Amino acid sequence: MILEQITFVSGEFDNDISSVNSLKELEDLRIKYLSRNGIVSTLFEKLKEVPKEDKPAIGNKLNALRTSITDNFNIVKAKLEQKGSTTKLSIDLSLPGYQRQIGSKHILTQTVDEIKSIFKGMGFSTFEGPELESDYYNFEALNFAPDHPARDMQDTYFVSKDFLLRTHTSPVQVRVMKKYKPPIRAIMPGRVYRSEAVSARSYCMFHQVEGLVIDTDITFAELKGTLVFFAKQFYGNDLKYRFRASFFPFTEPSAEMDITCYICGGKGCKICKHTGWLEILGCGMVDPNVLINCGIDPDLYSGYAFGMGIERTAMLKYNIQDIRIFFENDFRFLKQF
Amino acid sequence: MKISLNWLKQYVNIENIPLDDLLNKLTLSGLEVEDVYDESSKLKNIVVGFVKEKKKHPNADKLSVCIVSTGNEEFQVVCGAPNVEAGQKVIFAKIGAVIPNGNYTISKAKLRGVESFGMLCSESELELSDDHSGLKILDPSLQEGTPVSDALGLNDVLLEIGITPNRPDALSHYGVARDISAIYDLELKFPEIRISESDQVISKLAEIEIEDTVNCPRYSSRVVTGVKIKESPVWLKESLRKIGLRPISNVVDVTNFVMHELGQPLHAFDLDMLAGRKIIVKSTSVESTFKTLDSKDRKLAPGTLMICDSQKPVAIAGVMGGENSEVSQNTTNILIESAYFNPSGIRKTSKYLSLGTDASYRFERGTDPRGTLLAANRAAQLIAQLGDGQIAKGVIDIYPAIIKDKLITLRISRIEKILGYNVPKESIHQILQRLGIKIQNQSSSELQLSVPPFRPDLEREIDIIEEIARIYGYDNIPTVEKIYSTLAKKYDESAFLDNLKNTAVSLGFYEMINNPLQSAPSASLTGNEIALLNPQSQDMAFLRTSLISGALEVVSRNIKHGEKNLMLFEIGNVFNKNNSDSISSFNDFNEKTKFILIITGNEREKEWNFPQTPFDFYSLKGLVNSFNSKFLLDNVLNDSYYFTQNRIFDYSFDKKIGNDVIGIGGKISQQVLKQFDINQDVYCFEYDVSLLQTALPSGKRHYTDLLKFPKVLRDFAFIFDKSVTYSQVIEHINNSSSGLLKSVKIFDLFESDSLGPDKKSMAFALEFYDIDKTLTEEEIDKEFNKLIVSVSDNFNAKLRGN
Repeated sequence: MILEQITFVSGEFDNDISSVNSLKELEDLRIKYLSRNGIVSTLFEKLKEVPKEDKPAIGNKLNALRTSITDNFNIVKAKLEQKGSTTKLSIDLSLPGYQRQIGSKHILTQTVDEIKSIFKGMGFSTFEGPELESDYYNFEALNFAPDHPARDMQDTYFVSKDFLLRTHTSPVQVRVMKKYKPPIRAIMPGRVYRSEAVSARSYCMFHQVEGLVIDTDITFAELKGTLVFFAKQFYGNDLKYRFRASFFPFTEPSAEMDITCYICGGKGCKICKHTGWLEILGCGMVDPNVLINCGIDPDLYSGYAFGMGIERTAMLKYNIQDIRIFFENDFRFLKQF
Repeated sequence: MKISLNWLKQYVNIENIPLDDLLNKLTLSGLEVEDVYDESSKLKNIVVGFVKEKKKHPNADKLSVCIVSTGNEEFQVVCGAPNVEAGQKVIFAKIGAVIPNGNYTISKAKLRGVESFGMLCSESELELSDDHSGLKILDPSLQEGTPVSDALGLNDVLLEIGITPNRPDALSHYGVARDISAIYDLELKFPEIRISESDQVISKLAEIEIEDTVNCPRYSSRVVTGVKIKESPVWLKESLRKIGLRPISNVVDVTNFVMHELGQPLHAFDLDMLAGRKIIVKSTSVESTFKTLDSKDRKLAPGTLMICDSQKPVAIAGVMGGENSEVSQNTTNILIESAYFNPSGIRKTSKYLSLGTDASYRFERGTDPRGTLLAANRAAQLIAQLGDGQIAKGVIDIYPAIIKDKLITLRISRIEKILGYNVPKESIHQILQRLGIKIQNQSSSELQLSVPPFRPDLEREIDIIEEIARIYGYDNIPTVEKIYSTLAKKYDESAFLDNLKNTAVSLGFYEMINNPLQSAPSASLTGNEIALLNPQSQDMAFLRTSLISGALEVVSRNIKHGEKNLMLFEIGNVFNKNNSDSISSFNDFNEKTKFILIITGNEREKEWNFPQTPFDFYSLKGLVNSFNSKFLLDNVLNDSYYFTQNRIFDYSFDKKIGNDVIGIGGKISQQVLKQFDINQDVYCFEYDVSLLQTALPSGKRHYTDLLKFPKVLRDFAFIFDKSVTYSQVIEHINNSSSGLLKSVKIFDLFESDSLGPDKKSMAFALEFYDIDKTLTEEEIDKEFNKLIVSVSDNFNAKLRGN
């Protein structure tokens, strides 16, 4: 009786497994034959009812059946798995993934960050100051005499006789010098305002980064060294540069730093007005009057200051023709950086 | 300022200096050459032509057909000028020439059937003058074929030089020549002045008096009689034309020429128009009007320095002459004014009148008080020469207090101390002397210098050091790289802002930078706005009072471009008036740094396998809370909710610490959206950055041990009355649980008819654990069942499900 069943099951399994085409179907077979309540286990249960003397023989037959079914099962499973890995699945992996938006800082912020990190590496602190300033901090303390034409260099927005929108970040220099004792090594990024007609080349506000170094024995030679180092870090190591004499009321001697135009390589183009040079910053030795105004003895200490415009720098670096686009905040523009 | 190199050559010999080198050194020394214009290049292919033949045009009465020779070639040219005649030497523009006036190129043409190979030109066509009456007839001695630029002395090079406001001494050809003489160590030649005086004594012809000697420290004068007013000779007209001035008449042209030669502004009065033949220099005491020579009535402030005759004002001192004493065609006797005025007085007047002239530009920067007489002599010489006049005997020179040289001590050691380089002694001496600075005394350590008053910018030792440095050349000072290691404390006042920006970016926000200058409606929306006294336009006449209006403008613009899904942030300063109306101290206003997050449109666009998710109030809250979590403020800040509409929001919430509102936000009201022409929902939240910063937990951050025991999660759902809020339930659960409940989160909320009209279901996920041990089922069941009872009882809520 049980022997017949064993033979029958063996035949049925061979029949079943020959028609299996997928791992799913194979799994159904595993459940049918090999699971806890499967056919093979049921047969083993029936072993209990077999007379004692027949048990070893029937037990061997059952074991053989189980081994045979398991081996066959594993062979077919291996075949199917191998086949499965080379068969195309029924899903379209070429469909797009769910993309996420990563934000970004404004390109002007990114430019300031880059400048800040270079100076941070040279041991500079960072300070900020108010944009609505008094005439004293913006002009007087910086050695702009009242009624001097030097004031015309910076068209000023006033909110009252003595208060104005700062025209440069230099008032932060005064605030820092008054608050901290030398040695001072600091940069001062910030927003400044000029009462200029808005056009592609000029806007009523822009951003600057200024720097200030005060210590004993600070020289013009060192000012040059620091700024050349900065320019090489920022614009590239192979640049050529020059320092031109200039005038700012708060520095003496004063200079402007030019680098070779990196649009035309110094041959002369529209961007550099055919001079081959691009002005990148103004600088100079802090005027003794400014030191005195800030309570620093100019015979003991000397120092230098410098300042650069961020918009201009970014326009040159990223080939932006119209300054107004920075402040329109067109999403299509913001997403480019 | 325009400088002609040919003109410059009269004062310094630059023949042997290559042009590029000259331009470069001028620029490096501080006289920045902004533009160079080579005149000869503009007249290429324009030569002296000889009209060999002139015939009538067969088809046109007003045209003639000429044969023009350039020596070795002959050209047929059709000409329309009435004054063309055979035998003339004329200006001939060959094919390919570019005509300056109109900037067009000459090409072969056919005029009424006759071919023409070039053009004969008038003065106006070459922009030599405004004369377009006919052909320019040249001197017959000129060689045909010679380039016109050579023939007419048009081979000059013109420089546009930017002069910084500290350098009035360089606002003339002689002044620029002085710098060149210092740079190249060349001799500087003052123009030769030869005066031959008549017998008439000046004091009999005119009288001068200064009442206001503070504003007019010196007034020098010459008188020239019997002058014929006429056109200036070519050399003078050309000199002025090149530097951008329009020739007027010999007398006016001479005053302009001398100003651009020596830097001293001059004025020529018609002596016969001066009542009493007298000049009185005085300041006005009351407001008055005066007609300047451009025929405009000028309103003068009290205290304006005026040049008057014995009856009336005749000129605004240092700014512009009056119509009533102007030199005219009938003038014969000239009084030349060459004065020194106080710079700040002239600047005030010029500013007040919004009237800047070449004269006021120089006076307000500071002219040379020593140079007045030389300039008067130079002008008298030229006026007499060009107008056939006689120079009266003597001068009138009122100079009550002589302006002395400034004495400056230069410590040699300071040069190296400031520059970091020891400029050779010979160079120092040479530079100072070439610049007109006299060395009075010297020792091994010091130079005693005497600086003449034409350099008002040189007052201190440091100014002298700059002169030495700029002439010696900044490029000749070495570049020293120093590496600093200092233990001084480092500050970074922008670190927190950087942190905020980085966090916003990590959440997917883009940074915007808006103009803080706004229109009145935008600025007044959110605060007590401060007005600019001198705005460029009404669109930019007020300071922003919050970041909201600027952000809404950006949202509005972007939606119009089709960018409808936006996550933007900005960090910037905003300005509000305190109670006072005018701003006279820092207490009258406040300037705060704000940080705004603004969202609109879809958080997620529809995708092939995903529905679109619009931003809503809870998106905003979630983003804001993400910030608070990042800055460890979850348990520090308290939320309040406002269901009623205010000026900005339909509904809103704020975050407080104690009573300080550190941020507020919500759904922008329909009314405000309408103001900004936006037709989709917008949510924003604005933080006060300094309050946010002060709310930050102080002290060091510490590591927390990671949990070693399992967390157990349980859910429950209740049917509540609709009036019960989420925050009430959460607060109750938190308050009534023991320490084992570590977190509770709402995961489902719904209302339906089956629940009843005033009911809603809220389901919560609870998380239990103990940091010291594994919790048993019994402990959790006890805690969980206690919460079920407590919530049911407290809210009269029915437990669902089980």
